[in-house]
Amino acid sequence: MTPPAVNRPFLSPTTRIRVWYGLLAIIMAVFVVRLFYLQVIRYNHYHIAALQTQLKQYEIPPARGIIEAHEGDQVVPIVLNEPRYTLFADPKYVKDPAQAAGKIQGNIGGDYSQYINVMKQNSRYAVLAKKLTKEQKDKLDKLNLLGIGTREEDYRTYPQGPLAAQLLGFVNDEGQGKYGLEQYLNKELQGTPGELKAITDAQGVPLAANKDNVLKAPKSGDRVTMTIDIAMQRQAEDILKAGLDAAKSKSGGAIIMDPYTGAIKAMANYPTYNPGEFYKVTDANAFNNNDVSSPLEVGSIMKPLTAAAALNQGVVNANTTYFDPSRFTIGDATVTNIEEDGGPGTRSISDILSLSLNTGATWLLMQMGGGEVNQKARDAWHDYMVNHYQFGKPTGIEQGYEAGGSIPDPDKGFGLNIQYANTAFGQGMTATPLQMGAALSSLVNGGTYYQPHLIDRTTAADGRITTKQPTIIKNGVVSANVSTTLVGFLENVINRNHITYGMPNLRSQFMIGGKTGTAQIAKPTGGYYEDKYNGMFMGFVGGNKAQYVIVVRVDQPGITGYAGSKAAAPIFGNLTNMLIDNFGVLPKS
Amino acid sequence: MMSTSQRRRPSTIDAREQRRHRPDYWLVMLATALIAIGLVVVYAISPGLDKNGAGGGYYVSKQFMAIGLSAVAFLAVANTPVQWWRKVEKPMIIAAAVAAVAVRLFGQRVNGAYRWIQFGGMSFQAVELIKFALLIWLAGFLSDRIRRGALNNYQQTLKPLMIVLGAIGAVVAVFQSDLGSTGVMVAMMAAMVFVAGMPLKRVGMIAGIVVIGTVLAVASSGYRRDRLLTYLHPERDCQNAGYQACQALIAVGSGGIAGLGLARSVQAYGYLPEAANDSIFAIIAEKFGFIGVTLLLAIYAAFFARLKAIAERAPDDYSRLIVMGILAWFSTQALINIGAMIGLLPIKGITLPFISYGGTSLLFVAGALGVAFNISRYTTFVPQTNQPPNKEGASRERFATTAVRYRT
Repeated sequence: MTPPAVNRPFLSPTTRIRVWYGLLAIIMAVFVVRLFYLQVIRYNHYHIAALQTQLKQYEIPPARGIIEAHEGDQVVPIVLNEPRYTLFADPKYVKDPAQAAGKIQGNIGGDYSQYINVMKQNSRYAVLAKKLTKEQKDKLDKLNLLGIGTREEDYRTYPQGPLAAQLLGFVNDEGQGKYGLEQYLNKELQGTPGELKAITDAQGVPLAANKDNVLKAPKSGDRVTMTIDIAMQRQAEDILKAGLDAAKSKSGGAIIMDPYTGAIKAMANYPTYNPGEFYKVTDANAFNNNDVSSPLEVGSIMKPLTAAAALNQGVVNANTTYFDPSRFTIGDATVTNIEEDGGPGTRSISDILSLSLNTGATWLLMQMGGGEVNQKARDAWHDYMVNHYQFGKPTGIEQGYEAGGSIPDPDKGFGLNIQYANTAFGQGMTATPLQMGAALSSLVNGGTYYQPHLIDRTTAADGRITTKQPTIIKNGVVSANVSTTLVGFLENVINRNHITYGMPNLRSQFMIGGKTGTAQIAKPTGGYYEDKYNGMFMGFVGGNKAQYVIVVRVDQPGITGYAGSKAAAPIFGNLTNMLIDNFGVLPKS
Repeated sequence: MMSTSQRRRPSTIDAREQRRHRPDYWLVMLATALIAIGLVVVYAISPGLDKNGAGGGYYVSKQFMAIGLSAVAFLAVANTPVQWWRKVEKPMIIAAAVAAVAVRLFGQRVNGAYRWIQFGGMSFQAVELIKFALLIWLAGFLSDRIRRGALNNYQQTLKPLMIVLGAIGAVVAVFQSDLGSTGVMVAMMAAMVFVAGMPLKRVGMIAGIVVIGTVLAVASSGYRRDRLLTYLHPERDCQNAGYQACQALIAVGSGGIAGLGLARSVQAYGYLPEAANDSIFAIIAEKFGFIGVTLLLAIYAAFFARLKAIAERAPDDYSRLIVMGILAWFSTQALINIGAMIGLLPIKGITLPFISYGGTSLLFVAGALGVAFNISRYTTFVPQTNQPPNKEGASRERFATTAVRYRT
């Protein structure tokens, strides 16, 4: 049966299907043309556009150099690095801060409401906690909290605890060394960051294995070996602390150095702190290495230097005696002796030191001027202080914030003569204990001024070792004869006063010499405090020659008696015993 | 007016079963190829999708589940006689209407559009069900009108069509703010009405109404205005409104001739939004380059050609219209998606059929494919409607017992 004919539509259904498909095919062909345009003709444009957003440059932080020190014949680490973890939130992805904060608190403790506040910050990187341990990090990782992550960062750790804290300094949260060695050698310890140029995801995480990555490996910081001996440092700190307690003093310091190299063997400060927890320190003064950063009027420990200058100039000799009137009037001021001087009488140079005569030091200065304190005396003494003993400028020791102290100008100023008379016994000028130790070293070692230093050697990342050689700043500070004479004088000071100095059992087979200082403290408004003194002691211990030079500082002791002999000298005595007993001081032969 | 009084009646199921032959396996193989490409790409970029800490395998295993579910749906539908769908028109329309209302009431608003309904742990894209319901209903509706010769009748045909068009516009475009899917459905209606034989004048009239409606819809929503402006000048606002368009172009363009390689895509790592779903074409272009996407378009073209062939040789009007609707659905959706990725169309937020990650889309696409696959068992040897009857009055068709004889 043939069906009835119908009106033929304008296009049959099959044609219409083909028309539709034809349109489809044309559109798809247009798409291919468009794709050709985008992917072939405009490829460079889009390739560059892609790299502009995808390629990011990163800095790879280098490992900070570790710090070592001696322990007898060994070299042991004193500052190391340890990975710790910073916990951060990307608040954009934290859907439920209350729940996340609860879980974090449940695992690592901390302040719940503070966590919530941090997670509500309008930023993409909000720090929740710092310095988490690996165990804490692993616990948090297991929680798989959305929008919470950890980042590894190196932190300094201190296997020796708070030992030598001021010498070392610390590294702040920005990775910058502050105070001490960390500040002074920040650049060397820091190393050189590496560079990573990487195709990253939108969050900036590099996608591995991309040929456009360019890598420059980071260069680790130098490994630094200090001159100090850890055991000596620890014992020195203990002795200092005990001595300060006995003298009812709140602060002080002690230096032990090798007079023949300038190497610092121990340098103690009190009060101290734990560099691993530097952020807990409330009084920033605890950070200071006052042995190098706080110049003070040093008092009578200056007298050996005055004597040595006069001896070296030849204006007096070892056997010179003079009449000491017990007081000198210079200008409208009078120099008297603070300590018991036995009244006017005939004195030797050695007496000036053993009796600690201010008038004697003034007399020595007069001899440099041909009999009076005048321009010639000032110029001569100034030359010794600045050019021989290197006062008035930093020594260059590897410490942050080193101070140079100040020496009055010999040509300008008011009351120059009395001021210079004062400097002859350590008032009216300032120096750091380290400067005093370095100067004394030059007096006892035959006259060579070595730059004091704390660094033995540095080892670069590539293994190259730079050993620090003793640096001679000045030869002929004094002559060898003067040096020998002075050593004898200082030994005599101890021999005559060791009972007063709290050193009843003097060990005769060793050479021990030194000088006390009870320094007046200048008021900020001018003049001196009536009742406040700093106790100083400067000396040496050895056998045939001085092996260690020691400087002790006791700030404002609370006990009665002269601060130098009652507060500082006993500490010196204990330090010499320690050195003799434990650190191989060779006896006289 | 044409007289369309006497056209072929649909065959009975028994008669059809006698004409059953080998189905079009090419159709399934091409679709499987597309699904496989999608799966491989989702797998390759899954580390970059892992922004919720779900693990890279999460997306792939979820996509495997969707593929499994879709395969079951495909097999079930492929073995369902096509006439069966005529019986479920009403329930499907009701289900689609419920879904359309539910998505607005309970749905999630994503990127300014209401698309997802959550139930249990699953989310469901309501618009996919609406598309499928439209396909089934419209094929039945138009084939009925053809049989009655009422295709040009205003009251019987045009008016209901306009109402449905308006309803889709209101529900999908306005309420759900889903202009992309609206476009797909309008294209489905246009294709089916066109192939049903509606005079071009009428088709043109409806097209005019659609254009006016589209302009109004765009003008009425800030979200759509933004998207249109972005489309016109994506580079002007690459950081905000034009971000996806710009990043898509960067992905496509930086692929070059040969592409970066399967594992080397960068744009998928957080730069290009919806890298596994709506933007997957751009990622494919980045990975496989001009050669790769041209091949992909060729696979699509071949796939559409199979659908076209089935439509041409469909045994009856109903089958032809359904297959035509499916062809329009898949092709329009693919073209809108790809067009947006290559900067020729505004970003619409619809999936690339068979390839995009996502269960609902794949499930309904596989279902529709099952319908076409079923019909491919009953195709005639040559196109039915294009062949004038031979001198004997018998058609040159392989199995057909009836043929249209046009007045000459």
